[in-house]
Amino acid sequence: MKGMQILNFMGRSNPRVLVHKHMETMEIKETIDIVLTPQFYTFIREMLAINFAYQAKNIAPALFDDYLDTNKSYQYHVYKCGEDWCFFAYDIEEISSFLQSRGIEPYLINKIYFAQELVTYLNKPIHLSDQEALYSIDQTVTVLPQRLLPTDINYAPINMDDVVLKNGVSISSSFDAVIPLKQTIFITVLLLILGGIFILEGERIKDSIANQIATKERLLSKNPKLASSLIRNSQLEKYQPINDQERLKRDTVMMISKMLSNKSQLKNLTLDEKGITVTITTKNDMMKKQLIDQAKKEKFKIVSQEKRQIVLEKKL
Amino acid sequence: MNLMTLKRFKNELIILLSLVFVLFAFGYKQQSKTYLNHEKETLTKNIVEIGTVGELKKLWGDKKIGKKLNFFKTIVAKDKVKSFEKRSRKMTASYQNLTVKELNTITKKLFKTPVQITKLSIQESGKEQYTMEFKCKW
Repeated sequence: MKGMQILNFMGRSNPRVLVHKHMETMEIKETIDIVLTPQFYTFIREMLAINFAYQAKNIAPALFDDYLDTNKSYQYHVYKCGEDWCFFAYDIEEISSFLQSRGIEPYLINKIYFAQELVTYLNKPIHLSDQEALYSIDQTVTVLPQRLLPTDINYAPINMDDVVLKNGVSISSSFDAVIPLKQTIFITVLLLILGGIFILEGERIKDSIANQIATKERLLSKNPKLASSLIRNSQLEKYQPINDQERLKRDTVMMISKMLSNKSQLKNLTLDEKGITVTITTKNDMMKKQLIDQAKKEKFKIVSQEKRQIVLEKKL
Repeated sequence: MNLMTLKRFKNELIILLSLVFVLFAFGYKQQSKTYLNHEKETLTKNIVEIGTVGELKKLWGDKKIGKKLNFFKTIVAKDKVKSFEKRSRKMTASYQNLTVKELNTITKKLFKTPVQITKLSIQESGKEQYTMEFKCKW
């Protein structure tokens, strides 16, 4: 920082800069806190019968109604000062522009303090510039032209160790946030829970096939060679047609067996790889007709039906 | 977008990041679902395939079945077994003067045995008497 008034007050990590209209340009590369002189805020002290700062903050705009420029956009800060409430109205855009003009990028600012908090240290004025001094008049910190002060007045050196500033405001909260912090926390927690549920569900879904994997492993432990789909396919190609063909042969013969009764008798049955030929004799024509109907139903070909003898055929 | 803007929209940024996290988590869940469906399908197919192949191989690829076929030599009275020949992995058996009951017994036994029947011939040789011949391989 070049030739500047950085006041390192105790108990903080960030250096502090007293901001006033006649301050010189600075070169800041680290995060700082700033202490605004009354040139950048409007101050009202009121004794109000309210208990909480948020209640005070709610009534702040009404309190400043007659004192502020209606063309500007103000933010408000309130804290309890003794028995009274200290209200501050400030235009963060104006402050940001000014700081930028003095080489201080707003993103480097962590907290904003108000010089009103220095009131207990201003028994003597503080030298700000050749023209101005910071002084307390009736417990209100004010920037005074030096010409109004006696020429032989002693300016107080700021005792950094004694200065304690408690009522800072975060610069980010000074801007009008579209979504307030409380809602941000609420929405974020909800979204994180939802995300967590999705991830848990995803994990659970993956675990749900563990049983099937175990079944597969159990089957493979009996036939390790079948782990290869090539071997499986080759085995299937070998055994499936045998299985189908042999079952068909057996089913067809069983079908013939069911068609027979005490009024019909098997005369001849020949079965080979190509098909089956069956000769059946019946005791009467009615039985013969029944057999023919049944055979047709079972898709047998009626090769001949002489007298009471029928010859059936079926390709396999 | 400079750091100032980021600071200014810090809350919105946090929500946006949370939203991205939720979207990522949702994507993860959906991907798990797709993975599951695919894996389930593949696993089911594999399990069915392995099971089927195992069963078929056990049934039709049993190399010891040849020993069990000697049963067909003694299934009926000796004089009714016209011929019985087992060579390599083939068998031919021929029976005569079988009653219907004996014919049924042999047929049922043959059908329960996991061999490939290459030929089956049943002829009526007299009143309720049959000759039977079958060839099979394994």
